[in-house]
Amino acid sequence: MSIEEQYRTRAKELLSGGAVKMVIGYGKGSNAKRRRPIFISSADEVERLVLDDACITNLSGYLVSEGLLSDEKRVAVFLRPEGIRAINILAAESQLDAEQIVIFGFDVAGNEVTALKGINVEEFSDIIDSIKEGAPEAAEEELFEKIEKMSPQERFSFWQKEFAKCIKCYACRQACPMCYCRRCIVDSNQPQWVNTSSHTLGNFEWNIVRAFHLSGRCVECGNCDRACPVNIPLRLINHRMAEEVLGAFDHFAGTSKTQEPVLASFKKDDSETFIL
Amino acid sequence: MAKIGVFICHCGENIGAKVDCTKLAAAMGEHPGVAVSVEYKYFCSDPGQESVKRAIRDNNLTGVVVAACSPRMHEATFRKACAEAGLNPYLCEIANIREQCSWVHTDNDQATEKAMDITRSMVEKVKRNNKLQPIEVPVTRRALVIGGGIAGIQAALDIANAGQDVVLVEREPSLGGHMAQLSETFPTLDCSQCIMTPRMVEAAQHPKIRLLTYAEIESVDGYIGNFSVRVRMKSRYVDINKCTGCGDCITKCPAKKISSEFDCGLGKRTAIYTPFAQSVPNIPVIDKANCIYFKNGKCKICSKTCQCDAIDFDMQDTFEDIEVGAIVVATGFQVQNNTMYGEYGYGKYPDVINGLQFERLASASGPTAGKILRPSDGVEPQTVVFIQCAGSRDPSKGVRYCSKICCMYTAKHAMLYAHKVHGGKTHIFYMDIRAAGKGYDEFSRRAIEEDEAAYLRGRVSKVWEENGKLMVRGVDTLLGRPVEIAADMVILATAIIAQPDAKEFAKTIGIGYDEYGFYNEAHLKLRPVESSTAGVFLAGACQSPKDIPDSVAQASATASKVLALFSKDMLEREPVVATNNEATCAGCWGCVLACPYNAIEQKDILDRSGRIIKRVASVNPGLCQGCGTCVTFCRSNSLDLAGFTERQIFAEVMGL
Ligand SMILES: Cc1cc2nc3c(=O)[nH]c(=O)nc-3n(C[C@H](O)[C@H](O)[C@H](O)COP(=O)(O)OP(=O)(O)OC[C@H]3O[C@@H](n4cnc5c(N)ncnc54)[C@H](O)[C@@H]3O)c2cc1C
Ligand code: SF4
Ligand code: SF4
Ligand code: SF4
Ligand code: SF4
Repeated sequence: MSIEEQYRTRAKELLSGGAVKMVIGYGKGSNAKRRRPIFISSADEVERLVLDDACITNLSGYLVSEGLLSDEKRVAVFLRPEGIRAINILAAESQLDAEQIVIFGFDVAGNEVTALKGINVEEFSDIIDSIKEGAPEAAEEELFEKIEKMSPQERFSFWQKEFAKCIKCYACRQACPMCYCRRCIVDSNQPQWVNTSSHTLGNFEWNIVRAFHLSGRCVECGNCDRACPVNIPLRLINHRMAEEVLGAFDHFAGTSKTQEPVLASFKKDDSETFIL
Repeated sequence: MAKIGVFICHCGENIGAKVDCTKLAAAMGEHPGVAVSVEYKYFCSDPGQESVKRAIRDNNLTGVVVAACSPRMHEATFRKACAEAGLNPYLCEIANIREQCSWVHTDNDQATEKAMDITRSMVEKVKRNNKLQPIEVPVTRRALVIGGGIAGIQAALDIANAGQDVVLVEREPSLGGHMAQLSETFPTLDCSQCIMTPRMVEAAQHPKIRLLTYAEIESVDGYIGNFSVRVRMKSRYVDINKCTGCGDCITKCPAKKISSEFDCGLGKRTAIYTPFAQSVPNIPVIDKANCIYFKNGKCKICSKTCQCDAIDFDMQDTFEDIEVGAIVVATGFQVQNNTMYGEYGYGKYPDVINGLQFERLASASGPTAGKILRPSDGVEPQTVVFIQCAGSRDPSKGVRYCSKICCMYTAKHAMLYAHKVHGGKTHIFYMDIRAAGKGYDEFSRRAIEEDEAAYLRGRVSKVWEENGKLMVRGVDTLLGRPVEIAADMVILATAIIAQPDAKEFAKTIGIGYDEYGFYNEAHLKLRPVESSTAGVFLAGACQSPKDIPDSVAQASATASKVLALFSKDMLEREPVVATNNEATCAGCWGCVLACPYNAIEQKDILDRSGRIIKRVASVNPGLCQGCGTCVTFCRSNSLDLAGFTERQIFAEVMGL
């Protein structure tokens, strides 16, 4: 039985038995290479579920939709390892109760889809640890290294050129599961720290704020990058920040549901004397 | 409409010589919203403050900017003046044009330019300041004193004698600290025990002092006026309420060969013991690591001997939570272990000892009953060599600082030796003699002139054993030649260092420390007995190496601080605290973790039927210290700091 079928069967069982109230998965998209999220709440609909190498979107962000989990009922969701890490972060940041999440784990290598064993987020900790140990590489190693080698001036003008394209649509923010704030700092206008108009300064401010707010939290699922209508290579920034946090604090985002946020926690044996 | 008054201070020449204050005043006078802009030589003086007050009343000012020195100097002064003139004190701000401008610039035009920027940015901030009211918190009138050395005892007695409750916590089985170990004390040579023991007894019997010995601080929470402290009572295995202190158990205990900590290894003690005969309380403890019963499961001789049934081998550590309003830290010091100087042979040759060990030899209650006998064979040494600065003022191996007391106690040791060993010869290697203090120089001169201590200015390079003598090779830099002395005993004036656990302990109570582990005062000159944490005070050698007079003086100073704190029912706190916008808070609770003062709690917002609508963070203004950590952390920008709101800071930045 293909993994797609196995998961359809499991979805059917869970829904008909009432073990979950909804399954969030992938359905057909506008063409053969596109998949779109679907939300199924009846066992009759499981045939709509698709699972293949085109299922790349991280669906975890839908779980924090207002009110979805407030009835304390469980919801099942199709997740790749990045998505599973996202569950850990959302749980650690009190955005959801990991007990309510039933995971349909899978991974894609080439065009091969494999199932990941486990239901609750804790069961995937070995997989996540092995990703951390494997020191994930940047999506485009070549371009990444080219930027690393640039002088600060060159790098600045590279990003200036990229950010100049930004139209402040905030699609990157909407697509990111970690951007769950009800009011984003860029929408705060008393005072207006981040300029809303999409000129170079404002674009820089926005993209730098985004990078900072996601450092130590981004799981490099690529949702933002794919969402950007003007193809700014956000994945490169994300990766750079993830490397930085890993190197400086040995922090790999989303290893457990109780992981302390790297920028909010401090150790009592920290040698920094300014922290009492 | 804003009506801001700008007051530009020359600070004598400090600002006036670099910044063109007339030009600055004129420029600020032109700035929108400024009603008055004037200069004066010293605004902090009485007439200066009066003129500020007058200007507030005459012009109905809505805000004040004093362009002067750092706010740390005079913010409080000018805020008070504003309050006296009827203006809410938090509508007054200081523009620092001294430390951040005139002092650091050489070019007058540029300095003036920068002073304008700084002052203008403060004017913009003040326009957005809000009236704030001080926060009132109740005070628990009970003090905790940690450490039962002379400093802790003095602080406890002073506070208790003023009628306030004190809990005195000492981690050793007895009060006393280092002073109890000393023989005679400089500069008067009075017997340490004779002046110390009555103090110990007084502290133990004082109705206002609760003495907890063999106890340690587990945790400290809360804030000035309202600390909650958890104390661990280590199990003594002797019931303090039943024991009469007869000491029969000590006499009978068969484990007699344990090296005595109190005698610095020069004497022996039993497994059930009191550190010294005059211990307070005079209740023994069982040293579990060396007790035969705890090691082999057989013995219990002490328990059979005890007529009061006071021994309880099943005793467990217990905990007690205590509420206090102020804390005095008096945890003292340690002497450095000299084994790091291999060339001096400490630890290798039994007759190379340190100053504290010499105190025990010279002490009437010590292992030799006050006779100076060398540890190796109990013979009276005829020639002794003292090496000062063995660890102090040695950045490469020891510590960089001067331990302050070693010059004095070495002079004292030389005198005691001369008094006890007639005809004995004393040599003292020293770097400088530092004898500043009342009667101190006279004291060290006495050692040289009356007791014939031979001072040699120079360092010792090596000590080795030869034909039953300790050979000391050094240099006399005044004569410019090497010297070699055949000695019977060598005494190292070891550096005074912080307690080995000082840094860890500082983190438990939440105070700062320097690179050596000595505790930091809030201001070396103006607030020397306060720690950087409000309500926590420092007494004695835990802050820096100190002798007894200084430790006692500082202890009494902490008592006066504590009593001042206890003189009011309510405590006024700066209203600079964080507030959270619950509407925008995303409930990530990162701030709860980030807050170093545990001032942020999780809060559920419920609807009428008690269902949770939203979970948010909530700041407890009593605990918040206004550090702003949470504000910088919050991604959704929900937290804000009164007195430094985002709007104010933004205006300040834009005003530059
Ligand atoms: C060799 C030598 C000779 C000296 N001679 C003289 C002299 O002649 N004249 C003179 O004026 N000064 C002399 N001094 C200095 C004198 O010993 C000190 O000034 C004095 O002991 C300082 O007292 P204190 O209470 O600050 O510290 P301490 O005496 O060290 O007392 C600290 C107490 O706190 C306790 N404690 C530590 N940590 C904790 C904790 N975490 N919880 C609970 N309790 C704790 C310790 O057990 C100890 O009882 C001499 C010092 C030395 C080393
Ligand atoms: S920032 Fe982008 S890559 Fe990172 S978690 Fe958010 S959507 Fe995924
Ligand atoms: S998705 Fe792209 S264009 Fe839109 S705001 Fe983000 S970076 Fe800018
Ligand atoms: S950090 Fe900000 S968003 Fe998160 S809980 Fe605290 S106040 Fe709310
Ligand atoms: S300002 Fe924020 S982080 Fe600082 S003490 Fe107050 S609540 Fe805690």
